[in-house]
Amino acid sequence: MAQEQGHMHLPRADAIRSRLVDTFSLIEHLQGLSQAVPRHTLREILDPSRQKKLMSGDQHQLVRFSIKPRHMGHITHSQRMLSSLRVRCSQRPPLSLWAGWVLESSIFSKFIISLIFLNTIVLMVEIELMESTNTKLWPLKLTLESVLPEFVVLMGVSGESVWLQLLRISRVLRSLKLFARFRQIKVIILALVRALKSMTFLLMLLLIFFYIFAVTGVYFFEDYSRSTIEDLEYSMFFSDLLNSLVTVFILFTLDHWYAVLQDVWKVPEASRVFSSIYVVLWLLLGSIIFRNIIVAMMVTNFQNIRNELNEEMTHLEVQYKADIFKRQIIQRRHNLSPEAGRETSHRKASQDLLEPSKGSELSDAEKSDAETSDAETSDAEGSDAKRSDAEESGAERSGAERSGAEKRDADTSDADINDADINDAEQAKAGEGQKKSSKSKDYSSSSSTSSSSSYSSFLVDFDYDGKLDWETLVHENLPGLMDIDQDDRVVWPRDSLFRYFELLEKLQYNLEERKKLQEFAVQALMSFEDK
Amino acid sequence: MSQYFHHNPVRVVSSSLFGTASDALYARFKKIKRKDVECQAFFRSILKSSLLHALLISTITSNAFFMVLGTDYNIRYKLFRLFEISEILFVSIYACEFFMKVYVEPIKYWRDGYNLLDVVIILIILIPYTLRKIKGRHYRYLHIADGIQSLRILKLISYSRGIRTLITAVGQTVYTVASVLTLLFILMYIFAILGFCLFGIPEKGDLNNWGNLAAAFFTLFSLATVDGWTNLQEQLDNRKFTVSRAFTIIFILLASFIFLNMFVGVMIMHTEDSIKKFQRELMVERHVTLMEERQMILKRQQEEVNRLMNAQKSGGRSFSELVEEFKKTLRHTDPMVLDDFGTSLPFITVYLSTLDNQDTTVNKSCSSLQASGTVL
Repeated sequence: MAQEQGHMHLPRADAIRSRLVDTFSLIEHLQGLSQAVPRHTLREILDPSRQKKLMSGDQHQLVRFSIKPRHMGHITHSQRMLSSLRVRCSQRPPLSLWAGWVLESSIFSKFIISLIFLNTIVLMVEIELMESTNTKLWPLKLTLESVLPEFVVLMGVSGESVWLQLLRISRVLRSLKLFARFRQIKVIILALVRALKSMTFLLMLLLIFFYIFAVTGVYFFEDYSRSTIEDLEYSMFFSDLLNSLVTVFILFTLDHWYAVLQDVWKVPEASRVFSSIYVVLWLLLGSIIFRNIIVAMMVTNFQNIRNELNEEMTHLEVQYKADIFKRQIIQRRHNLSPEAGRETSHRKASQDLLEPSKGSELSDAEKSDAETSDAETSDAEGSDAKRSDAEESGAERSGAERSGAEKRDADTSDADINDADINDAEQAKAGEGQKKSSKSKDYSSSSSTSSSSSYSSFLVDFDYDGKLDWETLVHENLPGLMDIDQDDRVVWPRDSLFRYFELLEKLQYNLEERKKLQEFAVQALMSFEDK
Repeated sequence: MSQYFHHNPVRVVSSSLFGTASDALYARFKKIKRKDVECQAFFRSILKSSLLHALLISTITSNAFFMVLGTDYNIRYKLFRLFEISEILFVSIYACEFFMKVYVEPIKYWRDGYNLLDVVIILIILIPYTLRKIKGRHYRYLHIADGIQSLRILKLISYSRGIRTLITAVGQTVYTVASVLTLLFILMYIFAILGFCLFGIPEKGDLNNWGNLAAAFFTLFSLATVDGWTNLQEQLDNRKFTVSRAFTIIFILLASFIFLNMFVGVMIMHTEDSIKKFQRELMVERHVTLMEERQMILKRQQEEVNRLMNAQKSGGRSFSELVEEFKKTLRHTDPMVLDDFGTSLPFITVYLSTLDNQDTTVNKSCSSLQASGTVL
């Protein structure tokens, strides 16, 4: 385990240790609260076949909950409810779930569409039949359209009560729902609704300004409203609050504002200065600035909506690129491992390991406990042999690597890592990083230099092969790799995982030390060359 | 921590010369320490409380409603006592709020735009009173001073976060708007002088609309907003001015078609920019908050472990010794399924490849230096 380096504080090492503590729930263990580490994952509980196996065994086991944030599309209300524990554990499902299912089913929606059609036809027939009683108010062409005439109907027909008319209108407006079915129109309506929603505050601000100018108008034009001069056309315009509100709206639409202003000027008591200031200020603020702000907000909203619709596409693209990157990495490992594996005698064990582990990989797409044991036992033997003649940190890490990760996931093209070269890299680093010498170090460093040179030559070849150099490739694709949607789960043997975290933390300290040593070396060289 | 983020108000801070001067003044005053810290804290807690906010919002709303009622003379006549009392109540509440805020933060108060708005509204409230005192009760412009009181409702916008963000976003465009308006004014000025000389000076000219500069400006504004311009043009036609048509049409093209629509374009550009910037800032702040929370969790965990290490019964052992026992319980055949990125194969591969590349670079540079060293 890494010693507590009192003079160095690396946030990365701290993060790794924190991960270790978190994964193994060490705090609870050290406080004596719990002795067990979770053995099972959420997957096993949710999968019915595995759940059966689990339940038939020991039922007092801990389950590890790990929630990985995923990029989901629209989450429906029924999905949310189905995820809630209360709903899942209750005896009867809530009624809204069934109602949601009914609404979503295609038969039901088709039925509703046909009903709306029928409703519209019946309404038209009704209008046709009624036409014979009120001929002058019902021109024939109104029957052909189904929406607009209803408003005309409201104005025209005076004999019947207003509420009946409103009922008819509401029935007709249902036919508007028809249009919601068609995709194009749905998108436009969605865009309009969203634009309106984002403009609520703008409209609120506009209402506040309407109020201000309406109330102010009543007070400013008191003399004009009360004047006794004849032939004032617009004298009622500012007489009380309601009229003033309407007038403010009329001025907002820039209609006959100059005529109103000139009318006000006819009255000598009304001050010209303040009335013109009022009108010009309202025109500038309301109809010129506000109207253009509304246009600008709509344009921005439409652009946002279009961007969001494209976002899905870009997300898929990023996923695709990350997938390609992952395959590239795997490919590199594939190509490097057979050649490097032939170099020294150490790797004979790994050579044997490659085939059976690959075979077991390809044959089994699911995670299975029994099959790991074969490959892993041979791994364990190899790692034990390794441990005896290598340095503590490097070799144990490599042993962990080799016996460790055997990947079980949907992607069956992967094979386990060949960590012979990892071993070399580790030892080379460890050899440079730590100044203390031991006889194992001499032995391992000699082997490592020979192997690392061969390995590095392969790496160099690979670098010049690719179009992009490694740095930019990693920088571009790493975020996509981190957010990838696939569920890649890795099966780690428990002690190997612990060792992995330990070694990773120690590696950070080693790297830091190596960096410092390199700086010293560079300084020494500079001073040497100056001399 | 997120609570802190949500209650952080969006401040309207003025920039440029006024800002630098106030900064200097503020720096000087910051050194003065206050002695009444507890009272200040008490008032600060009152000002932050939601009860006060609710009280103020209801006050402003009822004030606006009473103003609406006051526009009708009959209601005002019947309920004049109610109006007097409510007016006194409202003004006292506004003044209390102002004094409390100034007491709590005498220097920082003046930096927030919404507080300045409060001050302006209080001054506006004082105008009718001072006018009545100075000029007597029958001053002809008294009703104008009464009309301006409707501006009190602007106090409401500081309580709504949505409107505040909207104003901040739109407020970025105010310089551009001002410059476009200035350009329009200059254009109108040129054409006003031209029109005055062409149509206003001659005896047969249209003195009504072009007689003096003010009238000419109004006529041109009417042409720019294309409201009733055909009537104005008709009057010029009746007086048989030949060049009037060209004049009017050119001005309408320039002012209405080009300038006023340029307005739209400029506003669209700026609204887009400010909204994007605002969203970016929001994302950055969210990211920073997330990072801080993560750091906090990390620190808490470290403290726990350190505490365990330093606990009496463990006798100050190091972390590795603490977990020795735990390590012994781990068996190799126990599987552990993880799906986080740090233990996944791609990460390990990428990390090790990068480290290997570093190694090769270092080796190459070492060998090249050695080679150059031997050459030297």
